[in-house]
Amino acid sequence: MIESILLVDDENLFHLVFEDACSLLDITLSLEAISSSDEADRLFKKWFHEGPEDEKPECVFVDLNIIGSSFDGIELIRKINSEYGNGVVIGIISSSSDNEEIEKAKAVGAQFWIIKSDDIEPRLQQFYDDYAGYRNGTGEFKIYR
Amino acid sequence: MKISTETRELLLNLAESKKVYLEGNLIKVLEVDADDAEMQAYLEECKSRDSEARKKRLEVTRQVQEQNRELEASSKKMEVLNQDLQAALAESKVSEKMASEAKAEAERLRDEAVEDLDDMQKRTQFELMGYIVKVALGVILGVGLLTTMLYVYVLTVGMDAKIIESTWSNLFGILLTNSFSIIGTIMGVKYANEKN
Repeated sequence: MIESILLVDDENLFHLVFEDACSLLDITLSLEAISSSDEADRLFKKWFHEGPEDEKPECVFVDLNIIGSSFDGIELIRKINSEYGNGVVIGIISSSSDNEEIEKAKAVGAQFWIIKSDDIEPRLQQFYDDYAGYRNGTGEFKIYR
Repeated sequence: MKISTETRELLLNLAESKKVYLEGNLIKVLEVDADDAEMQAYLEECKSRDSEARKKRLEVTRQVQEQNRELEASSKKMEVLNQDLQAALAESKVSEKMASEAKAEAERLRDEAVEDLDDMQKRTQFELMGYIVKVALGVILGVGLLTTMLYVYVLTVGMDAKIIESTWSNLFGILLTNSFSIIGTIMGVKYANEKN
């Protein structure tokens, strides 16, 4: 089971969907959902500079376009990977499947891309099956359609 | 996480008497003794109820998401329709203005045509009048000239000139009167033509 998950998504309804799907699939016991990339940036900055390290989530799911935030999900991943010490499994969860965006996400260190849909559970299950590979750094970038 | 005997009893009593069960991720971390069948059954019931509740909530949330998407799509369609409507309204205003201008132009051309027709009719009338006056003047001058020549001839040959003399005198008076009348008419016609 994943120790803790952070979801960064501007759609509050999706927070509920994601939480229920994770609970039904027994993916994690600890899930925090926030609506802004600025808030996520602030949290990672705090964990990186002040700690405690164990408050940092094990896995981060980031929406591509986060309305109301200063920057998008790809920029947030870049910041987390390059400015805040990396060390988390991180990827995009979005309804978009734009190849250009996918390539950009790969370039900044995203490990996966999950395409949002009404039927999110099978994709989350597949992701969870591959999770060990992402955790130990052997898993290659994968798109869950 | 292990629970005390008192908490265990409390939870079981609550479940039995009020059908109140634990829910959420807490039930996934509770540990019960392998030989405690009652508590294990209780936990299974908790998990089952929690799972059912989450499934229902997931279903409702999805329906709400779907409705939201439909509403958003409808809103976008409405926006597009509204824009089309406004564009059509603007176009109709332009068309109305153009129609109004075309109508004004048509009315102006009609008025010009009516004026031209009127002018043409007047000109034709004046031309006709001028022609008649010229012919009348010619006739009068011709008669005057003929009478004068006849009078001169009678005087020259020494014939009785009384009749022709009074005739010539009357005719000369008539000619002078009519000449002024005709000249006045000609001037009037000329003045009217120049004015138009």
